[in-house]
Amino acid sequence: MSPQTIMDLPVLPTSSAVRPGTVEGIARVVAVADGTVWLEPEQTTSCGCCAAAGNCGSSREGGIGTVASRLEARRFRLGAVAAGFALQPGDRVVIGVGQRSLIKAALLAYGLPLVVALLTGSAVQGLYGNDLSTLLGMSAGLALGLVVARLGARLLARRGELQPQLLRLARPGETCGADPETP
Amino acid sequence: MKEFALMMIGAALVNNVILARFLGLCSFMGVTTRIDTAAGMGLATTFVITVSSMADWAVQHYLLDAYNLHFLRIVTFILVIASAVQFTEMTIKKLSPELFQMLGIYLPLITTNCAVLGVALLLVEGHMGFLEATLFAFASSVGYSLVMIIFAGLRERLVLVDVPRLFAGPPIAFILAGMLAMAFMGFSGIAAN
Repeated sequence: MSPQTIMDLPVLPTSSAVRPGTVEGIARVVAVADGTVWLEPEQTTSCGCCAAAGNCGSSREGGIGTVASRLEARRFRLGAVAAGFALQPGDRVVIGVGQRSLIKAALLAYGLPLVVALLTGSAVQGLYGNDLSTLLGMSAGLALGLVVARLGARLLARRGELQPQLLRLARPGETCGADPETP
Repeated sequence: MKEFALMMIGAALVNNVILARFLGLCSFMGVTTRIDTAAGMGLATTFVITVSSMADWAVQHYLLDAYNLHFLRIVTFILVIASAVQFTEMTIKKLSPELFQMLGIYLPLITTNCAVLGVALLLVEGHMGFLEATLFAFASSVGYSLVMIIFAGLRERLVLVDVPRLFAGPPIAFILAGMLAMAFMGFSGIAAN
């Protein structure tokens, strides 16, 4: 798709959850069917080499635990929102979500279960004073924390804070961490 | 209680995983372009480090020590950490697909990075009990997250500064990281007292 066509594409209205402080991420269209678009996030490992890996042949090799298989597991779909775009497999798009929503989601998924686990473990250590009991208590606390996180996630999902919005098509050469227009 | 508090402050600030032990430097440079992403990544890594340390402690005590298999420690720990990462992703996907989708778009994949393995190996060297080991791992990863967030904030401000072309990009980021490491050296005074 030429850059001129990209500029002509409409920018979809954002939801109430997407505020001016929007976090942007890049995803690649993998399939389009009946107005639903399947996307794969263009993230790889924490070394920040998203664009490089997007063009890397080895990242497409499958297998348990590989980057390709884990990215495949992260595939998601956008329904009615994507209907205004003439997207095709291979197109790269920018997905946005509210800044606060991302922090809330991370705190809920990772922070809350850990805090519950540590508190439970400390309480069990105080009661029984041996390592095996503490280990079991902390594991139970972790499971409890994950269940609480699930309830919290339902609440956030009901408010629409976990629904990313399709913002625009990615510019050629644009990556997750850098804007091609900045030197 | 006081010993635990001092141990946690030491693990988070004095012997910081990134700035004192120089572990996890790839994510330190790669994911710190925005505060929100750095904070999310820090939380994810905190979870993985703590959970994998719990599992590593159990494996060390009930398997490697019990059967005198210490030579398998690093291989076993890498396997445990990789499993913990997979467990984390699978559990969150199962518990809440919306949450998994949201985090999956914006947070990079966590791999068996050296910070996770380094903390697990430090636990073994320290001959700690289970609670102490878990709190040490938690404090170390909180220190990791803290540095990630501070550095991301500095880099966000750095974008607004007119940096000479020769230093623009990674060079000025490395200089900044060095200055931050020197600032954190001030915490070693806590250990001295």
